[in-house]
Amino acid sequence: MAYSEKVIDHYENPRNVGKLDAEDPDVGTGMVGAPACGDVMRLQIKVNEQGLIEDAKFKTYGCGSAIASSSLATEWMKGKSLDEAEQIKNTQIAEELALPPVKIHCSVLAEDAIKAAVRDYKQKKGLL
Amino acid sequence: MGAPCHFALFDLQPDFRVDLAQLGERYRALARSVHPDRFADADARDQRLALERAAQLNDAYQVLKNAPQRALYLLTLRGHELPLEATVQDPEFLLQQMQLREELEDLHDSADLEGVALFKQRLKGAQDHLEQQFAACWQVVDEREQAERLVRRMQFLDKLMREVRQLEERLDD
Repeated sequence: MAYSEKVIDHYENPRNVGKLDAEDPDVGTGMVGAPACGDVMRLQIKVNEQGLIEDAKFKTYGCGSAIASSSLATEWMKGKSLDEAEQIKNTQIAEELALPPVKIHCSVLAEDAIKAAVRDYKQKKGLL
Repeated sequence: MGAPCHFALFDLQPDFRVDLAQLGERYRALARSVHPDRFADADARDQRLALERAAQLNDAYQVLKNAPQRALYLLTLRGHELPLEATVQDPEFLLQQMQLREELEDLHDSADLEGVALFKQRLKGAQDHLEQQFAACWQVVDEREQAERLVRRMQFLDKLMREVRQLEERLDD
Protein backbone atom coordinates (compact mmCIF):
# COMPACT_ATOMS: atom_id res chain seq x y z
CA MET A 1 0.00 0.00 0.00
CA ALA A 2 1.39 3.38 -0.99
CA TYR A 3 1.03 6.45 1.16
CA SER A 4 -0.31 9.60 -0.46
CA GLU A 5 2.06 12.52 -1.00
CA LYS A 6 0.34 14.48 1.73
CA VAL A 7 0.81 11.68 4.25
CA ILE A 8 4.47 11.42 3.35
CA ASP A 9 4.88 15.18 3.64
CA HIS A 10 3.38 15.22 7.16
CA TYR A 11 5.29 12.11 8.12
CA GLU A 12 8.64 13.50 6.99
CA ASN A 13 7.96 17.05 8.15
CA PRO A 14 5.50 16.69 11.01
CA ARG A 15 4.09 20.03 12.16
CA ASN A 16 3.88 20.93 15.81
CA VAL A 17 5.58 17.92 17.32
CA GLY A 18 6.23 18.41 21.00
CA LYS A 19 4.82 18.92 24.40
CA LEU A 20 2.99 21.61 26.31
CA ASP A 21 2.93 21.80 30.10
CA ALA A 22 0.03 19.57 31.04
CA GLU A 23 -0.19 21.31 34.43
CA ASP A 24 -0.76 24.73 32.82
CA PRO A 25 -4.42 25.71 33.44
CA ASP A 26 -4.68 27.01 29.86
CA VAL A 27 -3.54 23.71 28.36
CA GLY A 28 -5.81 20.81 27.48
CA THR A 29 -4.33 17.34 26.95
CA GLY A 30 -5.90 14.50 25.01
CA MET A 31 -4.42 11.02 25.29
CA VAL A 32 -5.85 8.31 23.09
CA GLY A 33 -4.76 4.93 21.84
CA ALA A 34 -5.77 2.29 19.32
CA PRO A 35 -5.31 -1.16 20.84
CA ALA A 36 -5.46 -3.09 17.57
CA CYS A 37 -2.34 -1.41 16.20
CA GLY A 38 -0.88 -0.24 19.53
CA ASP A 39 -0.78 3.40 18.44
CA VAL A 40 -0.56 6.04 21.16
CA MET A 41 -1.38 9.69 20.50
CA ARG A 42 -1.04 12.79 22.68
CA LEU A 43 -2.58 16.02 21.45
CA GLN A 44 -2.41 19.26 23.43
CA ILE A 45 -3.92 22.69 22.98
CA LYS A 46 -3.17 26.02 24.61
CA VAL A 47 -6.12 28.38 24.70
CA ASN A 48 -5.76 32.16 25.02
CA GLU A 49 -7.98 34.73 26.76
CA GLN A 50 -10.12 35.16 23.66
CA GLY A 51 -10.91 31.46 23.77
CA LEU A 52 -8.86 30.71 20.67
CA ILE A 53 -6.41 27.87 20.33
CA GLU A 54 -3.10 29.69 20.10
CA ASP A 55 -0.89 26.63 20.11
CA ALA A 56 -1.27 22.92 19.47
CA LYS A 57 1.29 20.15 19.85
CA PHE A 58 1.22 16.43 19.34
CA LYS A 59 3.29 13.32 19.78
CA THR A 60 2.23 10.11 18.12
CA TYR A 61 3.76 6.67 18.27
CA GLY A 62 2.22 4.85 15.37
CA CYS A 63 2.14 4.42 11.63
CA GLY A 64 2.61 7.15 9.03
CA SER A 65 -1.12 7.72 8.68
CA ALA A 66 -1.58 8.20 12.42
CA ILE A 67 1.31 10.66 12.55
CA ALA A 68 0.02 12.56 9.51
CA SER A 69 -3.54 12.65 10.89
CA SER A 70 -2.44 14.16 14.19
CA SER A 71 0.00 16.54 12.50
CA LEU A 72 -2.79 17.82 10.24
CA ALA A 73 -5.18 18.06 13.21
CA THR A 74 -2.82 20.40 15.09
CA GLU A 75 -2.41 22.52 11.96
CA TRP A 76 -6.13 22.87 11.54
CA MET A 77 -6.82 23.58 15.22
CA LYS A 78 -4.54 26.57 15.55
CA GLY A 79 -6.45 29.85 15.53
CA LYS A 80 -9.79 28.11 15.96
CA SER A 81 -12.23 28.44 18.84
CA LEU A 82 -12.93 25.31 20.89
CA ASP A 83 -16.32 24.89 19.24
CA GLU A 84 -14.78 25.17 15.79
CA ALA A 85 -12.05 22.69 16.70
CA GLU A 86 -14.65 20.20 17.89
CA GLN A 87 -16.28 20.39 14.46
CA ILE A 88 -13.21 18.87 12.80
CA LYS A 89 -14.30 15.48 11.51
CA ASN A 90 -12.24 12.43 10.83
CA THR A 91 -13.72 12.29 7.33
CA GLN A 92 -12.19 15.70 6.54
CA ILE A 93 -8.79 14.52 7.77
CA ALA A 94 -9.06 11.27 5.82
CA GLU A 95 -10.09 13.13 2.69
CA GLU A 96 -7.32 15.73 2.96
CA LEU A 97 -4.71 13.00 3.41
CA ALA A 98 -6.32 10.64 0.89
CA LEU A 99 -6.24 7.82 3.46
CA PRO A 100 -7.15 4.38 2.14
CA PRO A 101 -10.06 2.54 3.86
CA VAL A 102 -7.75 0.44 6.07
CA LYS A 103 -6.25 3.63 7.51
CA ILE A 104 -9.47 5.52 8.22
CA HIS A 105 -9.21 4.50 11.89
CA CYS A 106 -6.06 6.66 12.15
CA SER A 107 -8.14 9.75 11.34
CA VAL A 108 -10.77 8.60 13.85
CA LEU A 109 -8.03 8.43 16.47
CA ALA A 110 -7.01 12.03 15.64
CA GLU A 111 -10.61 13.24 15.91
CA ASP A 112 -10.96 11.48 19.27
CA ALA A 113 -7.71 13.10 20.42
CA ILE A 114 -9.03 16.57 19.51
CA LYS A 115 -12.21 15.91 21.47
CA ALA A 116 -10.27 14.55 24.45
CA ALA A 117 -7.99 17.62 24.52
CA VAL A 118 -10.93 20.04 24.35
CA ARG A 119 -12.76 18.08 27.05
CA ASP A 120 -9.70 18.13 29.31
CA TYR A 121 -9.39 21.90 28.88
CA LYS A 122 -13.09 22.46 29.60
CA GLN A 123 -12.91 20.26 32.68
CA LYS A 124 -9.97 22.26 33.99
CA LYS A 125 -11.91 25.49 33.52
CA GLY A 126 -15.05 24.09 35.09
CA LEU A 127 -16.93 24.41 31.81
CA LEU A 128 -18.23 20.86 31.87
CA MET B 1 -21.02 -23.35 13.78
CA GLY B 2 -18.33 -23.30 11.12
CA ALA B 3 -14.71 -23.72 12.13
CA PRO B 4 -13.88 -25.82 15.20
CA CYS B 5 -12.64 -24.10 18.32
CA HIS B 6 -8.94 -23.23 18.17
CA PHE B 7 -8.33 -24.99 21.46
CA ALA B 8 -10.13 -28.16 20.37
CA LEU B 9 -7.85 -28.42 17.35
CA PHE B 10 -4.97 -29.00 19.75
CA ASP B 11 -7.00 -31.11 22.13
CA LEU B 12 -6.89 -28.39 24.78
CA GLN B 13 -9.56 -26.99 27.06
CA PRO B 14 -10.28 -23.29 26.47
CA ASP B 15 -8.16 -21.55 29.08
CA PHE B 16 -5.90 -18.53 29.24
CA ARG B 17 -3.08 -20.47 30.84
CA VAL B 18 -1.52 -22.49 28.07
CA ASP B 19 1.64 -24.58 28.14
CA LEU B 20 3.33 -22.98 25.14
CA ALA B 21 5.91 -25.74 24.75
CA GLN B 22 3.18 -28.36 24.62
CA LEU B 23 1.11 -26.25 22.23
CA GLY B 24 4.13 -25.88 19.93
CA GLU B 25 4.80 -29.62 19.97
CA ARG B 26 1.21 -30.46 19.14
CA TYR B 27 1.14 -27.86 16.42
CA ARG B 28 4.26 -29.25 14.76
CA ALA B 29 3.01 -32.83 14.96
CA LEU B 30 -0.38 -31.91 13.49
CA ALA B 31 1.17 -29.70 10.84
CA ARG B 32 3.34 -32.63 9.75
CA SER B 33 0.29 -34.86 9.42
CA VAL B 34 -1.31 -32.51 6.89
CA HIS B 35 1.85 -31.45 5.11
CA PRO B 36 1.31 -31.21 1.30
CA ASP B 37 4.17 -33.69 0.73
CA ARG B 38 2.11 -36.43 2.37
CA PHE B 39 -0.73 -35.77 -0.04
CA ALA B 40 1.31 -35.62 -3.23
CA ASP B 41 -0.35 -38.82 -4.52
CA ALA B 42 -3.78 -38.17 -3.03
CA ASP B 43 -6.76 -37.10 -5.08
CA ALA B 44 -7.63 -33.44 -5.54
CA ARG B 45 -10.29 -33.45 -2.82
CA ASP B 46 -7.99 -34.85 -0.13
CA GLN B 47 -5.27 -32.44 -1.19
CA ARG B 48 -7.64 -29.54 -0.81
CA LEU B 49 -8.86 -30.76 2.60
CA ALA B 50 -5.30 -31.16 3.83
CA LEU B 51 -4.48 -27.66 2.68
CA GLU B 52 -7.53 -26.24 4.44
CA ARG B 53 -6.65 -28.11 7.60
CA ALA B 54 -3.07 -26.83 7.48
CA ALA B 55 -4.30 -23.25 7.13
CA GLN B 56 -6.76 -23.75 10.00
CA LEU B 57 -4.05 -25.14 12.25
CA ASN B 58 -1.75 -22.29 11.43
CA ASP B 59 -4.41 -19.65 12.12
CA ALA B 60 -5.31 -21.28 15.41
CA TYR B 61 -1.69 -21.60 16.46
CA GLN B 62 -0.94 -17.94 15.72
CA VAL B 63 -3.87 -16.90 17.92
CA LEU B 64 -3.22 -19.26 20.80
CA LYS B 65 0.50 -18.67 21.16
CA ASN B 66 0.08 -14.89 21.48
CA ALA B 67 -1.26 -13.82 24.89
CA PRO B 68 -3.41 -10.84 23.86
CA GLN B 69 -4.82 -12.67 20.85
CA ARG B 70 -5.55 -15.71 23.00
CA ALA B 71 -7.25 -13.47 25.55
CA LEU B 72 -9.35 -11.77 22.85
CA TYR B 73 -10.29 -15.15 21.46
CA LEU B 74 -11.41 -16.41 24.87
CA LEU B 75 -13.64 -13.37 25.33
CA THR B 76 -15.06 -13.94 21.84
CA LEU B 77 -15.81 -17.56 22.74
CA ARG B 78 -17.79 -16.24 25.69
CA GLY B 79 -19.75 -14.04 23.34
CA HIS B 80 -17.98 -10.75 23.97
CA GLU B 81 -16.55 -9.62 20.70
CA LEU B 82 -14.45 -6.52 21.26
CA PRO B 83 -14.60 -3.81 18.62
CA LEU B 84 -11.19 -3.94 17.00
CA GLU B 85 -10.71 -0.31 16.19
CA ALA B 86 -12.20 1.37 19.23
CA THR B 87 -10.29 4.32 20.60
CA VAL B 88 -9.05 3.75 24.11
CA GLN B 89 -9.23 6.53 26.69
CA ASP B 90 -7.36 5.05 29.61
CA PRO B 91 -5.34 8.20 30.46
CA GLU B 92 -3.06 6.92 33.19
CA PHE B 93 -2.14 3.81 31.26
CA LEU B 94 -1.66 5.72 28.00
CA LEU B 95 0.54 8.27 29.74
CA GLN B 96 2.72 5.43 30.95
CA GLN B 97 2.76 3.96 27.43
CA MET B 98 3.84 7.31 26.06
CA GLN B 99 6.68 7.49 28.58
CA LEU B 100 7.82 3.95 27.78
CA ARG B 101 7.89 4.75 24.07
CA GLU B 102 9.87 7.92 24.75
CA GLU B 103 12.29 5.90 26.81
CA LEU B 104 12.70 3.38 24.01
CA GLU B 105 13.30 6.23 21.58
CA ASP B 106 16.14 7.47 23.80
CA LEU B 107 17.62 3.97 23.96
CA HIS B 108 17.44 3.86 20.19
CA ASP B 109 19.21 7.22 19.87
CA SER B 110 21.96 6.22 22.30
CA ALA B 111 22.21 2.70 20.80
CA ASP B 112 22.23 1.42 24.37
CA LEU B 113 22.03 -2.38 24.05
CA GLU B 114 22.32 -2.95 27.78
CA GLY B 115 19.60 -0.40 28.41
CA VAL B 116 17.38 -2.16 25.88
CA ALA B 117 17.90 -5.46 27.70
CA LEU B 118 16.84 -3.90 31.01
CA PHE B 119 13.88 -2.22 29.33
CA LYS B 120 12.83 -5.54 27.87
CA GLN B 121 12.99 -7.18 31.28
CA ARG B 122 10.74 -4.52 32.78
CA LEU B 123 8.33 -4.82 29.89
CA LYS B 124 8.23 -8.58 30.28
CA GLY B 125 7.46 -8.11 33.97
CA ALA B 126 4.59 -5.76 33.12
CA GLN B 127 3.26 -8.27 30.59
CA ASP B 128 3.42 -11.11 33.11
CA HIS B 129 1.56 -8.98 35.61
CA LEU B 130 -1.21 -8.15 33.13
CA GLU B 131 -1.49 -11.78 32.12
CA GLN B 132 -1.83 -12.91 35.72
CA GLN B 133 -4.54 -10.32 36.31
CA PHE B 134 -6.39 -11.43 33.19
CA ALA B 135 -6.10 -15.11 34.07
CA ALA B 136 -7.69 -14.35 37.43
CA CYS B 137 -10.71 -12.47 36.10
CA TRP B 138 -11.70 -13.40 32.55
CA GLN B 139 -14.21 -16.00 33.68
CA VAL B 140 -15.79 -13.80 36.33
CA VAL B 141 -19.02 -12.37 34.97
CA ASP B 142 -18.86 -9.17 37.02
CA GLU B 143 -15.33 -8.43 35.90
CA ARG B 144 -15.88 -8.44 32.18
CA GLU B 145 -15.07 -4.76 31.78
CA GLN B 146 -11.86 -5.21 33.71
CA ALA B 147 -10.97 -8.23 31.53
CA GLU B 148 -11.55 -6.15 28.39
CA ARG B 149 -9.43 -3.30 29.75
CA LEU B 150 -6.65 -5.78 30.50
CA VAL B 151 -6.76 -7.24 26.99
CA ARG B 152 -6.45 -3.79 25.47
CA ARG B 153 -3.50 -3.02 27.72
CA MET B 154 -1.92 -6.32 26.71
CA GLN B 155 -2.24 -5.30 23.05
CA PHE B 156 -0.29 -2.08 23.65
CA LEU B 157 2.48 -3.90 25.48
CA ASP B 158 2.60 -6.55 22.76
CA LYS B 159 3.19 -3.87 20.14
CA LEU B 160 5.87 -2.26 22.29
CA MET B 161 7.58 -5.63 22.75
CA ARG B 162 7.68 -6.10 18.97
CA GLU B 163 9.38 -2.73 18.70
CA VAL B 164 11.90 -3.66 21.36
CA ARG B 165 12.79 -6.81 19.40
CA GLN B 166 13.17 -4.82 16.19
CA LEU B 167 15.45 -2.39 17.95
CA GLU B 168 17.51 -5.25 19.37
CA GLU B 169 17.98 -6.68 15.90
CA ARG B 170 18.97 -3.32 14.50
CA LEU B 171 21.48 -2.67 17.27
CA ASP B 172 22.88 -6.17 16.90
CA ASP B 173 23.83 -5.58 13.26
